[in-house]
Amino acid sequence: MRPGGGKLRPVGFGLLMLGFGLRLDTTWQQVAWLLLALGTMLGLSGLAALARDRTRAASFVPPTTGG
Amino acid sequence: MSDPACRPGTAAAATVVIGLAVVLALRGVARSGGPESRGAGAPLLGARLRTWYRELLAPFEDELVARGVPADVLTYGQLVVSLLAGAAFATGCLFVAGWLTIFAGTLDVLDGGVARRSGEASARGALIDSVIDRYAEFAIFVGLGAFFGAGWMLLLVALAAFESQMVSYARARAEGLGLELHGGRAQRPERFVVLGFGGWVSSLVAHLGCPLLGRPTHVVLETAVVLLVVLSTWTASERVRTAAAALRGKERR
Repeated sequence: MRPGGGKLRPVGFGLLMLGFGLRLDTTWQQVAWLLLALGTMLGLSGLAALARDRTRAASFVPPTTGG
Repeated sequence: MSDPACRPGTAAAATVVIGLAVVLALRGVARSGGPESRGAGAPLLGARLRTWYRELLAPFEDELVARGVPADVLTYGQLVVSLLAGAAFATGCLFVAGWLTIFAGTLDVLDGGVARRSGEASARGALIDSVIDRYAEFAIFVGLGAFFGAGWMLLLVALAAFESQMVSYARARAEGLGLELHGGRAQRPERFVVLGFGGWVSSLVAHLGCPLLGRPTHVVLETAVVLLVVLSTWTASERVRTAAAALRGKERR
């Protein structure tokens, strides 16, 4: 099973990097801020989903089988 | 589009985000299975790192296959993104250029995976992919050359472009002579990483250092180009030597 937020983290990181790039190198400041906000939101959602999955996996107790 | 304003605060924030991503990535790489590739011809980006990146891309590959996106679309998409990366380098948008270079490399990884999984892998596809790869790589080098303009850096960019093509040519020629040649330190992913991260880090250093220096410095990108020349020359000569030895062995038999 793939961890939660499998797509959100890379997409969030990609948007953040593009946002930083536009902010650093161009005059497209509004687009940059929009991408930074969107990237932060998606990246944090992805990290939260990953943390949730890890907690769930850690608390899983396999059923005992007789014999 | 290019804005030469000094933004050390944004550069510091970007450095923190990249640092966090690298830490998370290293943990992922450590968890990903498979033995680490070592030896004379092993690529610089090890098997574990490649496995981790493919796992990271797996949900996207699943989606593309499920939606029936043809691999050719990704191949041509890679060319478009590389042209944009070249344009970004040419206009001095180094951070964006680095990002686009890494994105182009990612599309290159995805197109092969999608072609194999959707049963589209064919000799025609391999030919188109190889030819588009060469054009895409050259587009990035043309942009880099335009960025550096005249002088010794332009010569080094031309040399890096030539040696990168020689890495691929050595393999293609060897395969034409009936040999299988997969080794090499700096293959295409390594070249994408050197150029992509070179663009990123160069832009960050330029913005972080501008309050002190008063002018942008591109020493990191210059170092990346020099590194690319060395690695590509090494890989091309390594491949020629391996192929020559194999052919000599064949002729003796």
